[in-house]
Amino acid sequence: MTGDRSRFVVRRSTFVALIVAYALLPGRAAANRPAPRLELPAIDGTTIRLSDLRGKVVLVDFWASWCIPCKASFPALDGLYRELHPRGLEVLAVNVDERRRDAEAFLAGRSPAMTVLFDPRGATPSAFNVRAMPSSAVIDRAGNIRFTHEGYSNKTLESYRREIATLLAE
Amino acid sequence: MTRCGSLLLVLFVATASLAGCATVQPWQRGRLADRCMQFDPDTGRVTYMTHWQESREGSSGGFGVQGGGCGCK
Repeated sequence: MTGDRSRFVVRRSTFVALIVAYALLPGRAAANRPAPRLELPAIDGTTIRLSDLRGKVVLVDFWASWCIPCKASFPALDGLYRELHPRGLEVLAVNVDERRRDAEAFLAGRSPAMTVLFDPRGATPSAFNVRAMPSSAVIDRAGNIRFTHEGYSNKTLESYRREIATLLAE
Repeated sequence: MTRCGSLLLVLFVATASLAGCATVQPWQRGRLADRCMQFDPDTGRVTYMTHWQESREGSSGGFGVQGGGCGCK
């Protein structure tokens, strides 16, 4: 009887340990952690630091000219920025194209009001643990990543609105 | 060649071929997404062909991943 009980305890402990290990796997439970350091050049050559935006709600989006869904997410995020910037939203659209001219060809004819940054070496998406393109992180006023998104659809835009409204109200 | 020599040769070839493996991160897939990297650059045509082939044969899959490897979900 004691043997059965101890075997049950061992099994239960193993089960709990596996669940905890799964939750702690890299890339999982990415939300609610301090945002990594971000310091990148913008179109006009100025350097933008995420740390300088503390106190604002920041949406960091990783995009590339070759990413098909980015063609839809880019204007949608810019629209969101134009709408909610007066209330305290900042959008950092980080381009990860290896060749700058590809990004510039994408931007030709578009006039984004949001801040477009360039990271051809991909250091920032690596730090943000990006696993798909496009990917984004919604950061609260205290500098913590509260929500993350992979891919883009109309539902993503609805989620952005809901999440940003929550963070702006905090 | 001795048996040991053959084994060493196999091990060497296997180890050397490992160097050809690399993990491409989602943000590094620009080159893979290039038109020249596609089996058929006309993705619309491929989608159409795949659709009717699958419906005729009652099968699905086996055509690889379309969309240029951008890592989109």
